[in-house]
Amino acid sequence: MTGFARRLAGKLLTGLVMVWVVVTFTFFLVHALPGKPGDVQYEQYIMSGMTADQASAKVQAIYGFTSHDSLLAQYGGYLGKLAHGDLGQSISYSGVPVSHLIWSALPWTVIPVLSGLLVSFLIGVVAGIVAAVKRSSRWGGLLTVSGSLVAGVPAFVLALLLLVVFHTEWNLLPDAGTSDIQYDPGWNLPYIGSVVQHAVLPVCAYALLSYGGWLLAMKSSVVSVLGDDFILASELRGIAPVTRARYIGRNAILPLFTVLALSFGVMFAGSFFIEDTFDYPGLGDLLLKSIGTRDYPVMAGAFLLITVSIIVANIIADLCYTLIDPRVRR
Amino acid sequence: MSRPKPLVAAIAVATVAATALAGCSSSAAKKSNGGSGGGGTGGVFTSIDANNKITAGAPMNPFNAAPNMFLGYNQMQLGFSKNDPSDPNALLPGLAASWTSSDSGLTIQLQPGAKWSDGTPVTVADIKTSLAIAYTHGTAGPVASAGGTVVAGNNFEVSDVKDLGGGKIEIDQQPGVKNLYFQRLVLTATIVANSVYGSQLPADVWSQIAAVQGTDQAAASAASAKLTAEGKTIAAFAPAKDVSAGPFVETRVNPGEALLDRNQYFYAAAKISPKQVILRSYSGNQQIWGYMNGGELDYAPYTSMPTNILNQVLGAGYTRIDAPSYVSASIAFNEKQAPYNLTPVRQALAYVIDRDAVTKVGEPVGGIAAPTTTGLVGSQSDSILSSDQKSALNPYKPDTAKATSLLQGAGFTKDASGKWHLPGGQPWTITLQTVNGFSDWIAASTIVANELTAFGIPTTAAITADFATYQKEMAAGKYAVGWWLVALGPQTDKAYARIYGSADGYSVSNGQATHNDAAPTNWEHTPATYTVNGQSIDPGQLAAQLSTTPVASQQPIIAQLAAATNQELPMIQIWNYTHVMFTLDKRFTNYPKSGQNDLLANPPGVWMMQGYVQGK
Repeated sequence: MTGFARRLAGKLLTGLVMVWVVVTFTFFLVHALPGKPGDVQYEQYIMSGMTADQASAKVQAIYGFTSHDSLLAQYGGYLGKLAHGDLGQSISYSGVPVSHLIWSALPWTVIPVLSGLLVSFLIGVVAGIVAAVKRSSRWGGLLTVSGSLVAGVPAFVLALLLLVVFHTEWNLLPDAGTSDIQYDPGWNLPYIGSVVQHAVLPVCAYALLSYGGWLLAMKSSVVSVLGDDFILASELRGIAPVTRARYIGRNAILPLFTVLALSFGVMFAGSFFIEDTFDYPGLGDLLLKSIGTRDYPVMAGAFLLITVSIIVANIIADLCYTLIDPRVRR
Repeated sequence: MSRPKPLVAAIAVATVAATALAGCSSSAAKKSNGGSGGGGTGGVFTSIDANNKITAGAPMNPFNAAPNMFLGYNQMQLGFSKNDPSDPNALLPGLAASWTSSDSGLTIQLQPGAKWSDGTPVTVADIKTSLAIAYTHGTAGPVASAGGTVVAGNNFEVSDVKDLGGGKIEIDQQPGVKNLYFQRLVLTATIVANSVYGSQLPADVWSQIAAVQGTDQAAASAASAKLTAEGKTIAAFAPAKDVSAGPFVETRVNPGEALLDRNQYFYAAAKISPKQVILRSYSGNQQIWGYMNGGELDYAPYTSMPTNILNQVLGAGYTRIDAPSYVSASIAFNEKQAPYNLTPVRQALAYVIDRDAVTKVGEPVGGIAAPTTTGLVGSQSDSILSSDQKSALNPYKPDTAKATSLLQGAGFTKDASGKWHLPGGQPWTITLQTVNGFSDWIAASTIVANELTAFGIPTTAAITADFATYQKEMAAGKYAVGWWLVALGPQTDKAYARIYGSADGYSVSNGQATHNDAAPTNWEHTPATYTVNGQSIDPGQLAAQLSTTPVASQQPIIAQLAAATNQELPMIQIWNYTHVMFTLDKRFTNYPKSGQNDLLANPPGVWMMQGYVQGK
């Protein structure tokens, strides 16, 4: 077995144990929430004119997917199903498979968050290099201030601000949803255009939200590299500025690479605030709704996906790091 | 000339690119302005179904917990309730053009030409399948109950559905069962196509229903278990496409909107003006207000809103329509926790709270300060009670002198700083519990807390994270004082069952109430009997009696319950809600107006069936 394969096997094993620990913790945590599935619906049925008997019977019928076994037995059953890739049936969606709900929500988190992440990473890194190199100039200062300002604004404020400016005031972009319902979903230009149009504001919100962090981290990293001896040596040897910039960039970006890899994992959690503001039906929105309705299987499924994605991203980051930075292999 | 900042430029480029790409056949402006104009027949009617948010991934199945089906548009019933307090059985026609009631059940006449959106006629098989499904879902009676001598007001126990020919259908009630609301319960059941849902039920479903209604306890129990399992199968069923007998049929749903096209086979298609209906998703009231400010909705349902938002909405061109609402916001007590077990304490608090002032802040648009507490909304108690009975009610007008006198009489004392102390000498403080998301209760709590604190009872408002937790903790007796919705009418038995029902330890069987103070659902803990006007009454039993008493004979019972509730104050009614809706007379016109309560009790799809909502 090669060293790389050994490292991979070790990390996978550790990851599996971590997944089990988190799955166990979240399983018992979600069941510890006060209230139970159907409570809110029961009240709504009463409000709509049903008697207590009718409301109870109806809740029993449509929320009958709630298990009445002991918690330990439910846990055993859950692990058994999980081993076969079965995430169970939703309670608040009357038996719809949890995997179906997660797969339905996943694209609406991955696409905008991934786009936002990449856009913010590219802009933030370039701006960070400029801010570091030109740190004594007015432009450098302005860039640093813009990064600090944006990084300090909460997600929901940023999202609301975009909504007010680009929808309410200028009426340039739609405020909610994923596409215009008038278009047939598929690979046709009007539908794709509508999806892109609806995604602009959420993507911008995600991008702005993380832009400041990338800029400041990159600036700090570049400033640190600029003080290294090998940069001074390269300057003294008359190496071309473009080549020197490449040296600086490659060395400065290493710490950010780890954060970027982890961000890919974290993105599966979406952003509750951004998805809620733009009524964007991603994973964060699904998780929020499932907490409100005490839909334990969906909560557990969403938490599992988030956990696994973070752990996998961590493993990939670790392994890739050894590839791009030979010093780590030693 | 200054150069644009990189970030702003990037956003601008992205915006322009996206808008251009989408501009092939659409524009942001078009969408944000809502549907297109009507022009006689045609146009897109845009609205929101407040009772049924769009749920991505959920099936087009009205029996699912999160159905992407919309009442009055593509979800049909035989009739639609008028919500008439004087006649709970009064209905507008739906798939049934007319009906006659008898002691044994109901005979209906289907609408001539009633068809599904696939062109096939609506038949007795559809009605039979739909009522069997209702049985599996509890709305047609408690599937677990057995015995042929039940007399109940809560369930209708359909025993058979017979085809009399010519679109005439007989629906029999279980022999020996008499339910006052049988007609309404049958006619408001959801009707689905047998061709779609029939395969989800076993062939012997009516034999199972007969077994549940039979006298053999073991057979009834086994059949009941089977029906419950079948109810689960129906709930989880995901039809491949919508087959609707309503004015519209669902074409597609995305996470933000549902698109419904006019059903060309609808029995009254000529009356339906909009070519399409778009129902939009929403994440909260603010989003609905945003849609209205942009003129995007042709009809907007009730949302609890402050006055400045009302002015904005009216400024955007909307017309306000008011309809009765049989709901009241109240402050309820857990009488197991001292000092709220003392009637003078609850009465004193009613004298301190200025309901007008609280309503102005809590529910300024959709609320009317409760004239007093009776367990019914003000307009309903006004119409039922006699002048003498009304004048005998205590209005609890703000009067701190009376409150002081009541408290002193109960042994409470006031210290030098003006703070009240319990009869045992301990300082008296109140935590007024409310729940996250109920913005009107939260705003009102601040005023109530200020008033009580100013009177000398330091009061703080506490907010529970969500409604599920609120219900759980309230039922567990964690809150001494908290907000609660009461007067859930228009059926008076339901309004009083809300107060003197399961939340007060009562359970009702065959019209007889039994009280158990230790019942897990009991958080009110009122006494089992009250003495009112020198007479001992059992409010739980009276509330149960209402369910088996015809509306015309209910007045004496209601008078006793209203007087008892007014005297004992298990809760203080703060405001009565008004059903405030908004319509935009821009793309469509001829909406129902305030006063047309029969129609306004129903969603716009039902208005359209009656010929309302025409394109401009």
